Amino acid sequence: MDTTRHDLVIVGGGAAGLRAAIAAAVQDPQASIALVSKVYPMRSHTVSAEGGAAAVARADDNLEMHAFDTVKGSDFLGDQDVIQYFVAEAPKELTLLEHWGCPWSRNDDGTVATRAFGGMSTKRTWYAADKVGFHMLHSLFQQSLRYPNIVRYDEQFVTKLIVDGGAVHGVASLDIREGAVRLILGRAVLLACGGGGKIFPFTTNGNIKTADGMALAYREGVALKDMEFVQYHPTGLPGTGILITEAARGEGGHLKNSEGERFLTTRDYGVGTKAELGPRDMISRAIIQEIEAGRGIKGPYGEYVNLDLTHLGGDVIMKRLPMVRELSMLYGGADPITQPIPVRPVVHYMMGGVDVDIDGASALPGLYAAGEVACVSLNGANRLGSNSLTECLVFGARSGLAALRFAKGTSAANEAACARQAEEESARVAALRGKRGGERMAQLRRELGVTMEEGCGVYREQASMEATVHATAALRGRYDDLGLQDKSTVFNTELVAALELGNMIHVAETIAVSAAHRNESRGAHARRDTKKRDDQNFLYHTLAFAGYSGPRLAKKPVTLGIWEPEERKY
Amino acid sequence: MARPVNPHAMTPSRPGRTRTAPPQAPSGWYTQPRMLKYLLFDATGIVYLLVGFVALRVVWALGSGDAAWAELLRQLQNPLYIAFHVLALVSVVFVAVRFFSLFPKSQPAHIGPAKPPPQPLILAGLYAAWIGVTLVVTAVLAGWVL
Amino acid sequence: MSEQKKTFVVTRFDPDKDQAPRQQTYEVPVQPDWKVLDALNYIKDEIDGSLSHRWSCRMAVCGSCGMMVDGKPSLTCKDALSDYGDKVEIAPLANFPIVRDLVVELEGFLEKLKSVKPYILRAKERALEEGTHRQSPEQLEEFKQFSYCINCMLCYSACPVVANEPEFIGPAAIALGHRYNMDSRDEGQHERNEIFRGEGTVFSCSYANECSEVCPKHVDPAAAVNQAKFNAVIDWLTGFVTTRGGK
Repeated sequence: MDTTRHDLVIVGGGAAGLRAAIAAAVQDPQASIALVSKVYPMRSHTVSAEGGAAAVARADDNLEMHAFDTVKGSDFLGDQDVIQYFVAEAPKELTLLEHWGCPWSRNDDGTVATRAFGGMSTKRTWYAADKVGFHMLHSLFQQSLRYPNIVRYDEQFVTKLIVDGGAVHGVASLDIREGAVRLILGRAVLLACGGGGKIFPFTTNGNIKTADGMALAYREGVALKDMEFVQYHPTGLPGTGILITEAARGEGGHLKNSEGERFLTTRDYGVGTKAELGPRDMISRAIIQEIEAGRGIKGPYGEYVNLDLTHLGGDVIMKRLPMVRELSMLYGGADPITQPIPVRPVVHYMMGGVDVDIDGASALPGLYAAGEVACVSLNGANRLGSNSLTECLVFGARSGLAALRFAKGTSAANEAACARQAEEESARVAALRGKRGGERMAQLRRELGVTMEEGCGVYREQASMEATVHATAALRGRYDDLGLQDKSTVFNTELVAALELGNMIHVAETIAVSAAHRNESRGAHARRDTKKRDDQNFLYHTLAFAGYSGPRLAKKPVTLGIWEPEERKY
Repeated sequence: MARPVNPHAMTPSRPGRTRTAPPQAPSGWYTQPRMLKYLLFDATGIVYLLVGFVALRVVWALGSGDAAWAELLRQLQNPLYIAFHVLALVSVVFVAVRFFSLFPKSQPAHIGPAKPPPQPLILAGLYAAWIGVTLVVTAVLAGWVL
Repeated sequence: MSEQKKTFVVTRFDPDKDQAPRQQTYEVPVQPDWKVLDALNYIKDEIDGSLSHRWSCRMAVCGSCGMMVDGKPSLTCKDALSDYGDKVEIAPLANFPIVRDLVVELEGFLEKLKSVKPYILRAKERALEEGTHRQSPEQLEEFKQFSYCINCMLCYSACPVVANEPEFIGPAAIALGHRYNMDSRDEGQHERNEIFRGEGTVFSCSYANECSEVCPKHVDPAAAVNQAKFNAVIDWLTGFVTTRGGK
């Protein structure tokens, strides 16, 4: 068994993973840090983030305002101690990124510019035209090239966490190119694998967002927290699901229905004067309600509403939203300078994830998580736009340092036991390659998407959620009869896709089960049958553990602190 | 349809862990007009090399007395020589036009405190200088001045 | 939606079985608004699960899906299938060793990228308490375009020098090095210009301009490389005139 040994193993090479690696590498230049990613780091899905990253920057802003906006945006399910730490660290992290070369857009006086964003009481979103994720990821990746103690394992797919003696000691990872499973030992493992939007059929997420990190932790008995909260971003292009950033609304774009009406201002959708800059869950619900009321515009990929930027003028669009224009023309068939962009709500982000504390530590010793894969919980029941990139940096750094501290203080693994586990995993993966079976992967993927869309859409109800619970459990069974065509060992992407599908089905089940048991409407979990938020009975985080016949649930209290839950109106 | 390129093109210093097939050239290269234009651009180097040889011949004749000079002038009337010189002129013009068109964007945004002039001005300046120098040298060689 | 069929001739190569790359033909029912990548995904999902190709974002920003389409480098998630005829040839990126089917070896590029020191170099790191550097919008414009590179490597496939000189570090690497040279926050110009005077760097470029023609993000690497030539020369000349302390 090909074995390598490191102090810290980071799984995932996006913003959170790279930030954690750099933090650990700087903290201890003698520490050996493995960065294991199933794609080259510059392909990580961080790259597609467009709008901006939030941190207090202006004189008319303060940490308390940012914190309260985040708490309220989370529909009071966010842990307030986490949020307070987050808003304090946010400006430092974005400044650090500026030092590392990130080309933030500037005001005329040379200071960093900020723009308005949904749910934020003032302008605090730092931006880089409308390609912030791209610039952040490349700045982080290029910065990471300075540190020789960051050892990269590119195009390696981690299939199992190696747990021995009650603690994590490394990972078993499939070398996608070679086809062999290798053992990468680390005295701590940090998951930074991102979320799982590909579980749903219509998503902004790229092909690689398959909930791998969540599944890895889940299968080792770690709880997944708040899985029912799936964020639908209001403005995705119909058909492809490609994201049209919230910044388009931040710069002044209007949402209009089939009658040309700016429905967020003319009808009461709870967003008040914020209108298009209300929180994402409310705007998505507003759009769905408009469509259901018959005021949607019919198109070849379903009904949509219009995002109108024509009044902003070519100058503003070319300077601040150039990528929005490119994407609308390439994939949406509309030039925003002269035409409205067709948009509809699309799955974008998972507020839920691996249950970790403020240090990113899970209940399993040695296992840490940061970024979208983790649920700290910063975002509670609904995330505000531009908080997520900052989250990756703040908690990537903190968790990376915490994981390194743990690694330094813990003893080395029983290598023989770990190698045995890795051998078993290698056999399991080899058996999956080119396996005979009756089920087709594309078919299972499609059915998974359909049932998740029906049961866990923008609006949910008990009957369809329960149907989804049963359907995902059934898919788990049918997955065992999967038939594959590619038997070769070298760069077998069908095998990787099959492993990803397995991860998606496991995590989808936790989403469905968690959703079916939350009998209230809070944040992104909106039910038609129970429309109100119920703080008496449901002010807790849902924990989903792997059980024998499906996920079993538990509760975890929310850390309040300064702000008591109040009615969420804007 | 693929033609081989240097077998080590884009090969990493440490060999990959599986066997790879050697790199291939883009199959569109040898038919694409833009690419043929570039190959022609580079190929004019041969013409300049030959012009250099002719220049050496002229200088040698200059130093070898009146008879050698008269012989050279007679040889240069040969249609082949004339055709060659026309080819050389066409090459120079072709290269100059392509080079000038690509020159403006090769100016860095600043060199120390100095900024380049706007691109149309750079182009105008290049053509003016080229034509100007050509006229002056022609005038001298043709005996119109000096 | 109307159903139209196109024929795809795709390069296949499995090092376990094939001596050399071969071609395989697929008939695919295509939609009018498809990009080339959609057809490849259809082949993989519905016809032949053994076709390996890289892709991720499908919105022309991650750079994974570069391939040769009808002999020209193309970002397959960006190029519309309707721009091509009824028979489309898809091959792996030119000038790269082929790992499997449409997947090429990228380690060579990463080595070249690392060699230009693509990060902010300063004599003394700025302290966090000092806040962000001041950088005017004009200063940002000077390098912004060169920072758009998504590392898709179409420029490497287009460059005739890459094809013939293995040591040439290539358009994207030089463009990224130049991006940092032009960044007002960077103080490493002398170091990088020294690298740019070395073997296989900027002076290997013979200004074919193909890299800029194929770049899907309008980075204009040809401009970067040729600007870098200027800067490298000026840096060399000023080295005789000035003394450089401590860099």
